[in-house]
Amino acid sequence: MNKTLSCLAAGLLFLSAAAADAEDLTAEELVSGALDLMRGATSYVEFTMKIKRPDWERSTSIVSWSQGREDTLIRFTAPAKDAGNALLKVGDNMWTYTPRLNRTIRLPFSMRAQSWGGSDFSYNDLSRSDQVLRHYDLAIVDSKQDGEHAIYTIEAVPHENAPVVWGKEIWVLRDDYVMLEQVFYDQLQVALKRMTTLEIGSMGGRTLATRMRMERLDEPDHWTEVITDSAEFDIDLPERMFTLFTLKEAT
Amino acid sequence: MKLTLLVQLSWRNLWRHRRRTVILLTTICVAVGSVLVLNALLRGMQMSMVETAIDNLNGHFKVLAPGYLDDPGITKSFELEPSGIPGLSAEGIRGWAPRVRVPAVIRSERETRGVQFVGIVPGSEDISFLGDVDVDGEYLSGPDDRRILLGHALAEQLETGVGRRVVLITQGADGGNRESGYRVAGVYDAVGTGIEKAFVFTGLATVQDLLSVDAVTEVSVRLTEEARGPSVLGDLTNTFDGLDVRTWQDLEPQAAMMHEMADATVSIWFLIVMGALIFGLVNTLVTAVMERIRELGMLRAIGMRRGAVIAQVVIESMITMVIGISTGVVLGLLGFAWLAEGIDLSAFAEGLELTGLRPELVPQLWAQDVFLVVVLSLVLGFLASIYPAHRAVRVQPLDAMRR
Repeated sequence: MNKTLSCLAAGLLFLSAAAADAEDLTAEELVSGALDLMRGATSYVEFTMKIKRPDWERSTSIVSWSQGREDTLIRFTAPAKDAGNALLKVGDNMWTYTPRLNRTIRLPFSMRAQSWGGSDFSYNDLSRSDQVLRHYDLAIVDSKQDGEHAIYTIEAVPHENAPVVWGKEIWVLRDDYVMLEQVFYDQLQVALKRMTTLEIGSMGGRTLATRMRMERLDEPDHWTEVITDSAEFDIDLPERMFTLFTLKEAT
Repeated sequence: MKLTLLVQLSWRNLWRHRRRTVILLTTICVAVGSVLVLNALLRGMQMSMVETAIDNLNGHFKVLAPGYLDDPGITKSFELEPSGIPGLSAEGIRGWAPRVRVPAVIRSERETRGVQFVGIVPGSEDISFLGDVDVDGEYLSGPDDRRILLGHALAEQLETGVGRRVVLITQGADGGNRESGYRVAGVYDAVGTGIEKAFVFTGLATVQDLLSVDAVTEVSVRLTEEARGPSVLGDLTNTFDGLDVRTWQDLEPQAAMMHEMADATVSIWFLIVMGALIFGLVNTLVTAVMERIRELGMLRAIGMRRGAVIAQVVIESMITMVIGISTGVVLGLLGFAWLAEGIDLSAFAEGLELTGLRPELVPQLWAQDVFLVVVLSLVLGFLASIYPAHRAVRVQPLDAMRR
């Protein structure tokens, strides 16, 4: 009896493993893989942000540190006008620091839908982290083979009571977790914002989207590009990295 | 001398100068009529403001935790006994409604706004404007309803609508953020866009659930009639020991001030109009007396008493006033009847909102106002006749007849 059971169990295990192989990856695995790819256990990234508007455009340099899925520190380094402006996220809380005012402000939730640093990203976009896994139902709606990679289209529909305003999101991911596209829909299923990966490169030992563009679909010529200049992952960060003290300290 | 004879004399004197008398009567009539119509309009305005203030989630009385008004939030709350509140079954109370009201932020796909998030027991809200509000979509079904009710103006700002989801963010008792998505059950059309932009409603239990509390932040009480106020207030203060019981005047000081001002305005307007009129009356009476100096001298000479001369002038004045006032009241009633359906002020709706007025002004004619106007006018008419009467008795028969 015992033997039969264990045989059965082993058989089942084998079967499910085989099934996982055949199906490759679940939507959850893909999304959490994509989140981890961008962040690692810890990360240090230098990037350039280009903001484009119909009548002007500007470019800023930024460095960021992250740890796990919750802690992030972002600091502007150029141009001089913006240098030192910083943002700290620890858990659910966010603070901004403006050197010219020498003030740290805890960002209330009410302000998090506002644009960050004049870009097309809101504070919410920066703090999303594992929200997607907690508040959305994920489903692979399409997959196709593109050269050596499989490409999955994932539909993310927020739970009924999730604190998410979007009607749905569509994520396009490659099987090595590189995100190719992310589209935000309103509840009438009209696409509002789209993030597209324009370049993929190798950095810090990983294959990453190195140039991404977030654009507003309801207003032409409104976009922000994030170009990763260098990235390091799984590095040692000092314990006091994600504190208000470090937020104020220009390094 | 017989009173009838005096009245007869006065009556005839009055119609010696027909045109002058008619002009005077017309003046009195228009003055009284316009005072009455204006009173009715002011009363209408006053009552509309009071109604709005009470309807606007205040009630006649509101029970609050101490300090809620200075720093509204779920930390300033109190628990209600589920069995019901003994003080609230008292006579004179039309209804009461428990609510949780907390400041919150509402987000749609496109916009973010600050609002008051109010958990209600829909069945109890017939005491506020929600009782007869127009709702596009559905009204909340009960305190457990997890959907929300948005104001029309807010829905437009958020670019959302019935059946869509929005996110509400507020602060829990522990200071931490609480956020959740809610589907829009209906969009309501309140009198002012101010209300529509301020209040987002949902079931009481839904908000309590979001904030993980069993408490409420306020209980509104509405009276059957204003006069019951003091006794009910006493009951409430006893029942809710240790809590703040506020009147609508405390909660809406601006409306309360306007309410008192309307009372004063009624009197001031009356005094201005009637004051101006009285000088006309005095003038006419003095002229009439001066014209009749010879005649009065003759009457005195053949033995008319001083009292009779005075009475004659006073009666003349009173007859004028009585005719003028009665036609004036008729004119006022006609004017009131003409306006009774209400004046549509919706063209100025936005400005009116600031004063808490509804866009339709329905005049109210109060018997006590009519009574006051009539009595005060008669008193003024009497006072106005004293000086001319005094002039009339000062006539020396000899001087008068030598003219």
